[in-house]
Amino acid sequence: MIDLFSLALAHGLLLLMVLRLMGRDDLDRDPPPPAPDAKPEPGE
Amino acid sequence: MIDLGLFLFIAALLLLGIRRPFVWVLAYIYIDTLEPQDIGWRLVASMPVSLIAFCAAFGGWLLADPRHGARMALRQWLLVILLAWCALTTANADFPAEAAYKWGWVWKALLFAIFVPLTITTRLRFEAVVLTMVLTAGAIIINGGIKTATGGGGYGVLHLFVDNNTGMYESSTIATVAIAIIPLILWAMKHGTVFPPDWRVNTFGYALIFACLLMPIGTEARTGLLCMAVLGVLMLRYVKRRFLYIGAAAALGVVALPFLPQSWYARMSTLDSAEEDTSASTRMAVWRWTIDYANSHPMGGGFDAYRGNKFTYKLPVRTESGNTSSVRLEDHTDQARAYHSAIFEMLGEQGWPGLFLWLWIHGLGLWQMERIRRRWRSRTAADQQWQAPLALALQCAQIIYLVGSLFQGIAYQPFILTLIGVQCALWTWCKLADSPRRSRARRPARAPAGDAVTAGEPALR
Repeated sequence: MIDLFSLALAHGLLLLMVLRLMGRDDLDRDPPPPAPDAKPEPGE
Repeated sequence: MIDLGLFLFIAALLLLGIRRPFVWVLAYIYIDTLEPQDIGWRLVASMPVSLIAFCAAFGGWLLADPRHGARMALRQWLLVILLAWCALTTANADFPAEAAYKWGWVWKALLFAIFVPLTITTRLRFEAVVLTMVLTAGAIIINGGIKTATGGGGYGVLHLFVDNNTGMYESSTIATVAIAIIPLILWAMKHGTVFPPDWRVNTFGYALIFACLLMPIGTEARTGLLCMAVLGVLMLRYVKRRFLYIGAAAALGVVALPFLPQSWYARMSTLDSAEEDTSASTRMAVWRWTIDYANSHPMGGGFDAYRGNKFTYKLPVRTESGNTSSVRLEDHTDQARAYHSAIFEMLGEQGWPGLFLWLWIHGLGLWQMERIRRRWRSRTAADQQWQAPLALALQCAQIIYLVGSLFQGIAYQPFILTLIGVQCALWTWCKLADSPRRSRARRPARAPAGDAVTAGEPALR
C-alpha cells in the first residue's frame, strides 16, 4: 500500500510536469530578456 | 498493477518525447535513478528500458534538438579522459571478469554525464532536470519516509521497493542522496515555473524534505547523520536570521530525540568508538592496504581491485563478567573487503591519475558553482534570479555527497554524475549568457552616461 502510494504520487507529479512542459515554447529556447525596468519574479 | 503502471508511464514518456525529444533525456534520468525494471517483474523487466531511453535521448538530441548553446565544458573533457582511463585500466584489470561487470554500468553513467550538459540549454530544461531528479529520488524517499514514520525502519531492514541493496537502494547511498537533494528541493520550491510557488508546492516540498530527513533515521546509516550535520552547517549560507535558525534547529533536535528508536541510538553511538567497531577497523585496514597497493601499482588495478586484499589486524573485543569488563586484542583476518570510500575506490581502481582526475572534476565543480553564485547573486533583472541560488543548491548537494562519499564507495554513482552534468550545463549557460553577443542583446541601444559603473561583470572564464 505504501509502495503504491509513493509510486503513484511521484509518478503522477512527474507526468504532470512532462504534460506542462509539452506546451512550453521556452523548453527549447530561452525567451528574450525582459525590458530593463521589469520587476523581479515573485518570491524574491 | 505496479508493473503495468510503470510500463504505461515509461510508454507515455517515450510517446510524449516524439513531440518534445528532451523528454527522452528526462526519461533516461528517471529510469537510471529509480530502476523501474527492478521494481516491475514482467512487462518492464522484460525490456531493455534503460538502453531504449538512452538511444532515444541521444538520437532525439542529434536529429531533432535545436542545440542552441550546446558546448563541451572543461569538466566534460575531464570526464572524457576519466572514461578513457577507466577503459584502459579495465583492459589491464587484476580481476578482468569483475572489472568488466562494473565497467558495464560505469561507462554509461560517465557517458551520460558528458552528454547531458549538451541537452540542458534553457532555464526550463534546468528546472525539468532538477524536478525529475528530485521527484524520482523522491519516490524512494517518500516510500522510506512513510515506512520510517510508521515504524518500519532499521539498519538493513528498511525495505525500499526492491530486495537488492545496490545503487540508489543501498541504505547509506539513499541516506546521502536524500540529504543532498534538500537544497535542490528548496530551489525548485522557490524558483519553479512548472510548479510555481503556492501553498500546494510548499506543502509537498516541506513534506518531501521531512521524508528526506527521515532517511538517515530509517536506514540507520551513520553516514546519513554526518550528511545531516553538514547540511545543518551549509544551511547557514541560506538563512537570513542565523541565530534564529541555530536556535530553531537545536530546539527541533531536542524535541525529535525522544521519538528516535533505541536501535538508532545504539547504531549512532558506534560513531565515536571506532576502535571497537569491526566496520571501522576494517575500513582503516582497507584504506592502509589501498595506499600500499597504489604505491606499488600507481596506475591502479582496474575495477574491483579490492578483491585482492587480505590483511590481519588487531580488533579489541570487550568481555564482561559480573561488574568487570575487560578488553583484549584479537587477531582478525579479512579479505576482499570493499573500499568503503570513494577516494580509496578511485585510488585503488584507477591509481593516482584516476584519483587526481576525480578530485579535479569535483574541485572544479565546487569552484565554478561558487563563482556563478558570486557573479549572479547581486543581479536584479527578473530573469537573473534563479542562477545564483541554483549554483548554491548544486554546490551544497555536491559537498554533502563528497562528505558522504568519504565513507562509501560511490565514486561513480550515476545520480551524482548527472548532478555534475547539471553543474557543467549551468557553467556553460552562464558563460554564454555573459558572452559579449548576448550582453549586447540585453544592453539598451544607447548606453546612458556612467555605463561603466553599471556595466555587467565580465564573462566567466
